[in-house]
Amino acid sequence: MVSRATAAREGFDPEMAGKRAECDGGGHIAGTRFAGRQEFTGTLTGEFVDQGDPPWRWYLMVDLTRKPEGYPADAVWCESESVFILGDESS
Amino acid sequence: MAEDPLRTKLCDMLGIEFPIIAFTHCKDVAVAVINAGGFAVLGEAMHTPDEIAADIKWIRDRIDGKPFGIDLVVPASVPPAGALEELMSKIPDTHREFARQIKEKYDVPDPKGPVALHQWGGLNQEMARAQLEVLLDERVPVLASGLGSPVFILEAAHERGIKVFGLVGKTRQAKRQVEAGVDAIIAQGYDAAGHTGAMGTFSIVPEVVSIAGDTPIIAAGGVTTGRHLAAALCLGAAGVWTGTLWLASRESDVDMIVKEKLLAATGDDTSYSNCISGMTMRTLKCPWTEEWSRPEAPTVLPAPYQMLLSSDYIQGANDHRREDLMTEAAGQGVGFVTTMKPARQIVFDLVDEALTAIEELAGGVG
Repeated sequence: MVSRATAAREGFDPEMAGKRAECDGGGHIAGTRFAGRQEFTGTLTGEFVDQGDPPWRWYLMVDLTRKPEGYPADAVWCESESVFILGDESS
Repeated sequence: MAEDPLRTKLCDMLGIEFPIIAFTHCKDVAVAVINAGGFAVLGEAMHTPDEIAADIKWIRDRIDGKPFGIDLVVPASVPPAGALEELMSKIPDTHREFARQIKEKYDVPDPKGPVALHQWGGLNQEMARAQLEVLLDERVPVLASGLGSPVFILEAAHERGIKVFGLVGKTRQAKRQVEAGVDAIIAQGYDAAGHTGAMGTFSIVPEVVSIAGDTPIIAAGGVTTGRHLAAALCLGAAGVWTGTLWLASRESDVDMIVKEKLLAATGDDTSYSNCISGMTMRTLKCPWTEEWSRPEAPTVLPAPYQMLLSSDYIQGANDHRREDLMTEAAGQGVGFVTTMKPARQIVFDLVDEALTAIEELAGGVG
């Protein structure tokens, strides 16, 4: 069961590369039964990972101009449905 | 007035009597609400796949074929590998010292055992997938995603007859999920317990309703009375998602001391802060939240490292049942939770209050 869930494939989407975007992110809060939201703004590199089957796509966002206070990295992996391209009204 | 103003499309979709959804971490509460004609979603984010399967069986054995839901936290972003581990060793001394001062000032006892956080590896994509697969295998009636988008699992869920609900804090999140075919959207306002978006319930619910078409919208955040239920229906919602309401119910497994704190609390007794976990969440105020809100407090660390600082306090308070220190996630509607009642009674009171409010409204208008 877990192997089907965890297989990951890396890729590159030129359509997404270089686009400025926002990520309505967040996740589970370790040690609790709660979750928290985290918001990011940055540039998509176009790199992605498709995890599992059905594929669950994650895009890499760098050059973060907005991130949670104290966020430790200059990049974040964003779940594809939580990415909103700036200037794209349809998103 | 309609024959039954509480009969909504959510009731028809789920085959339930009342458009009331209890979000709870307690199986007994879930079963009581379901058997009273409402619907319950059990929060299982902290559970292993085996535990989730066992809980599903436990519930199914007690509800005579009625529907129920399971809520998981589907992550929406993760930091690059290694970044957090690096930070682990870099918790500033100023923060450790501030936490130590709180411990000394309030005589916070040491936890009785290892801090749970240090034994729990956190929830990553792999764990989330493993949890989701249990829900698919078990064909639970409703899969609710408590944070991230469930769209990637939508087709697999629908193939198995599973309805998928998404919880959102912004209208654009709802729009995307509606377009993808999610079965219902929970529009959660700032009043809610735990993590919330920045919009108030009275703003986000009608805004999401306006873009949702026929997809049922469920109002969340501050819903603790039948008047809230009636108001939510007036806003266009097809039901309500309630959490705080059940914490102090008779069936709830929340510590009795915390139940008493909840019953005594007013809407002003909650704190919306990131000082417990590094992510903003609404909880009952406690010395930890009050100290970190002072101007001289250090800047809060990101998740999960703020939790490393707070977990000693939280677990020490809970292990020793220190009423003055304990806290719990609670929404701003907590002021209406004033008596400890059976969950079944809470459902019926909500219904009675809502019907009265609707009748008064109709009478006043007429």
